[in-house]
Order: sequence, then C-alpha cells, then structure tokens
Amino acid sequence: MLGEKAYSLVKELEDRQCEILPYNTDLVTEIATEIVHLYDQNHQDVRLEDSRTPGTSTNLMPTVRMRHAAIQRNQRCLLAYHYNRLRLLRQMRWEFGSILPTELKENLSAAENGWFNKYSTILGKYMRSIGENGGLNLAVDLKPPKALFIEVRCLVDYGKLELNDGTNVLLKKNSQHFLPRSECEELIRRGILQHIAN
Amino acid sequence: MDDISSEDILLEEDESEMMHLTPAQLVDRMQETWINEIRAPEILPYKYEYVECLLEHINSMEENIETLQTASLVKVVHQLEIDRFRYIIASYLRTRLEKIELHVFHILKEEDTRIEKNELPYLSDGELQFAQEYKNSIEQHFQSVLSFWPGMPPDDWKNNPVVPNLDSFVFLKSKENVEGVIIDDSDENDIVDLKEGSQVILSYSKIADLLKNDKVSLL
Repeated sequence: MLGEKAYSLVKELEDRQCEILPYNTDLVTEIATEIVHLYDQNHQDVRLEDSRTPGTSTNLMPTVRMRHAAIQRNQRCLLAYHYNRLRLLRQMRWEFGSILPTELKENLSAAENGWFNKYSTILGKYMRSIGENGGLNLAVDLKPPKALFIEVRCLVDYGKLELNDGTNVLLKKNSQHFLPRSECEELIRRGILQHIAN
Repeated sequence: MDDISSEDILLEEDESEMMHLTPAQLVDRMQETWINEIRAPEILPYKYEYVECLLEHINSMEENIETLQTASLVKVVHQLEIDRFRYIIASYLRTRLEKIELHVFHILKEEDTRIEKNELPYLSDGELQFAQEYKNSIEQHFQSVLSFWPGMPPDDWKNNPVVPNLDSFVFLKSKENVEGVIIDDSDENDIVDLKEGSQVILSYSKIADLLKNDKVSLL
C-alpha cells in the first residue's frame, strides 16, 4: 500500500522516544524509491493527458492527484523522521557535550554526524559571544543550585580529579566525596559520579 | 517615524535608570525577566542591560571573594549567591535558545519585519547569528535528505513553519492599574480592568503588549 513504509518509519520514532535508534538507511532508501516511482508515473500520465484531445472518455487526473498526495505524505513523513532525530541529537549535545559516546555515534548517518558537529560549533560560538569576558557556558548550571557542596558516590575508577582550588581528589569506585557542585555536575551527567540526595 | 524616536527615548531612560539600580534591584529585574521569558509562549525582547550588568556584577563579586580565606563562611555564602545568579542568566538564555530553535523560521521572519519597520530587534546579535546558522543547518540537512528527488527538490515544507501558540493562557500579575484590556476581539464591551497587584489568568495574545511595556509580569 502506498505510504505504508513512511508510516512505519515515523512509527519507529515513537517506539523509543529518548534514545536514538540506528539510522534506518534501508527504509529511507525504499521510501525514496517509492517517491521517484510515483513521480515518474505521474509524469508519464500527465504527458498522456496533455496529448489527448479534450472530451475523451478516460481521465487520468484522479490517479495523478492520488499519487501526488502519496508523494506529499511520504515527503512529510521523511522530513518528520529526520527532524525528530535532529531534535534528539540536539538533546544529546546538551547532555553529553560536543563529543558523543561512540556507541551512539554509530547510530547516526553521515549527514547527521555532520549536523551534530555544525550544531556544536554554532552553539559554542554563541556561548562564547555572551558577555564581555569570554562567554558563559550554558551547558552547566542545568538545575537550580541548592547548596554549594554535594555528596557524591563514585561509580567507576576514574582516577585523580583536580579541583579549581588546586586540591586533588582520588575518585575510586564506591568512594564517597563531598565536592563543589559546579565541578562534579558534568561527571554526574557522564555517569561517573552519582549524586546522593539525603 | 515617530515611533522610533519615542522608543529611543525610552531606551535612553532605561539606560540612565540602570545607573541607579542597586544590585538587589538588578537581581529582582533579572528574575522577573527570566520568569516572563519562561512563561511566555513567544520570544520576548532581549534584556541586554540586565544580563550584561549582572554578569559584570558576578565578575566583581568573584574578584572580591578571591581575597577571602577558603574556609570562611562569608565566602561560601557569596559563592552560592554567585552560582544562583549564574543559574538565572544561564536558564534565561537557554530558554530563549530553545524557543529560537523550535520556532526558528517564524522568529527570523518576525525579526525581518521588525527591521523593515525600523523597530528594535528582539534577538541579541549572538542569538540572531545563532538563529540564522541553525536555520541554514536545518535547511541543508533537509535538502540532503531530499536530494534523491527527481528534478528540483520541493521546499513547500517551509510554508508551514511551527509557530508559538499565542492564545495559550498565562498567569499574570499587574504591576500598575491598567484599564480596558479587551478580552474578546469580536466584542468591544468585553473588557477588564487590572488593578495594581491583582493576579489573573488571560490569553497571552491579549496582554503581550502590556508585558512588553512592563505593565504586567507573568507568574
């Protein structure tokens, strides 16, 4: 049935909303082929219709319109799929920073990888332009600060962490620390530290 | 042209007013601006003065606490205050960026009309540049997606950009007495007077101008 493939492509977005699935190259190509096919058929029919003398019995216009609607729908589904993936990518830029974990990177198409880097660049440029002394990092301070220091548990063997005031902390698995919030926020997001709320 | 000159005067007044603002007043203004931005469905004019002044204030506070001893309580309290200010600014700018990304085609078009009419822009220079580059990146990506198209790839998807819902309802508090806010466009008698300090729920589109002229604030 026309448009079925496009439907399943969009459906894929719904399945797992917060995680980026592998780019479905096959389905995208199939939809593209369907569009090209419909387009060609329409082209032929329109030419046929034009060459016909007016008033003859068979009218191809309804078929042509039907195909055109299918093309439009396919196009819309394609763009919706790609746009929603970009939104996910954008979310990931804020969560993981400008370098993506490799296992997620494998799920992207080449164009998406390119877009991600471009987005990183323009976002970085914007953040540097804020204020007069070298910008403001908007990717930190994501939650309203309640206290300056927070208690964290280390989930992996990370090694030494040097704090802004020069002291060194050794982050070993299962060790607990009382650290400045601003300095462990990123590590918490990367899953190295866990915030212990009391 | 009359509009511009009155706008300009207003701006100058604002700037001279900035000189007299105490840090506490500045923070209050910034906080109000921030909450307005979070609650409003559309992007609001960028409050350049507040952001710049508060950032400057943060810098000078940071320099001051450098001189304090590490363990002193005063330092801890000040550091927390700095963190809170920074959070407000960061959250304000992030909210704006999210709106820009979501409604990029609409916002840039509006911005162009404003420039044509010689009105003040809503976006900061940095935001405008970001918006344009973001729009280009999306267009480019879509074009590459549709590159298989026989003949010219279609661009009719640009005709229906995502627009903010200006009719959504907002909670607001009136900062001064405002008379005759029209609630229903079709019925001119259907008006409401806002008393100073009163809190109401209204459709955003009806009070957008009041909000931009600093007569009401959102909650």
